[in-house]
Amino acid sequence: MFRRARRSSDVRRLDLDRPLVEAAQRDPARFEALYRKYVAQVYSFAFYELGDHHAAEDATEQTFLRALAALPRFEERGGLRPRHDASPDASTFRVWLFQIARHVIANERRHDRRHPTAALESAAVVAGPDDLEAATLDRAAASAAWSAVAHLPDDRRRAVILRFVDEMSTSEIAAVLGRSEGAVRVLIHRALLAVARELGEGT
Amino acid sequence: MTFGWPPDEVDALRTDRYLDALLESARTAADAPAPSELDPAVRHSARRLRRELVRVHPSFRFEEQLSRRLADAAATIDRAGGGLRLDRSPVVGRRFGGEPSLESGRSVPASLQARRPLLVGGAVASAAISLAGAAFVVARRRSRPAPPMRRAVLAAHSRFVPGRRASRARRVPLA
Repeated sequence: MFRRARRSSDVRRLDLDRPLVEAAQRDPARFEALYRKYVAQVYSFAFYELGDHHAAEDATEQTFLRALAALPRFEERGGLRPRHDASPDASTFRVWLFQIARHVIANERRHDRRHPTAALESAAVVAGPDDLEAATLDRAAASAAWSAVAHLPDDRRRAVILRFVDEMSTSEIAAVLGRSEGAVRVLIHRALLAVARELGEGT
Repeated sequence: MTFGWPPDEVDALRTDRYLDALLESARTAADAPAPSELDPAVRHSARRLRRELVRVHPSFRFEEQLSRRLADAAATIDRAGGGLRLDRSPVVGRRFGGEPSLESGRSVPASLQARRPLLVGGAVASAAISLAGAAFVVARRRSRPAPPMRRAVLAAHSRFVPGRRASRARRVPLA
């Protein structure tokens, strides 16, 4: 009993979204705050996985609609507890949301057979419009990096995207992908070696 | 010294620690120190991906439209007093921008099918019109012809218009 209460208080303390989640469970209209907080992260994950803006919008829409529908059950299905040394943004709600996103995106990929080798046209624009040469180089560099990531096996690619784009901790990625933390660390390490080989860097 | 750990996992652990520092350095604008044991290839590719894999934001229009749609769904949950039911069958859903469109094969909550009442209403109206038309045709076909004497009287008080059939004769007032 004491152990359970202590564990529950740990979850309550660690999950930074707990107040927002509880408010949304009491009043579904309050889901707006969670949506605003995570829409860009979910969209980015979907975009890098699907390589298409429209498909990413569809996946984002489905993810949040499913999350809203399943929010009353979140407490029971929670129990995804980040480690104490997890990133400051660690949140069990975020892990749960990205698990939904992962399933939605997997269905989307199976359904449409889209592959993320398409040009990353919007994300690659970093330089100002005046500096065309720099813009072209930046775009080429971004395309090369993205192409290297896109050629990774599915699990490695997802782990890299969650680590670099969504800035998740290893424990969060492990919970999203349903793998152990050690396995995720190895996935990312091997992915970085593969990307280095593809880009011809450091070897 | 790996303390009995497989070398691959030790390297992965070093990489993980470096990535923690690298991602944290983006927040603090400080440079992340790379440990000397870290593979240079890993360090290069990590820095490259940190720079190139930027977060992509959805369009403002999409974000606002999805926000409105979620608000509608939340109101539906409030009214129903429970969760939404997710339906896998093709449904008529409301597309972003207020334009209705068919969404085949997508999972859309049944409670969000804004056009469904209109479709049901239209189907009822067209069915009613069809029933009225069928009843009219049946009534016409079942109507009995006028008796011969009545037809003769009508013919005597009317004139034939040249080039027209008898059935189309129209009554002309007598001068």
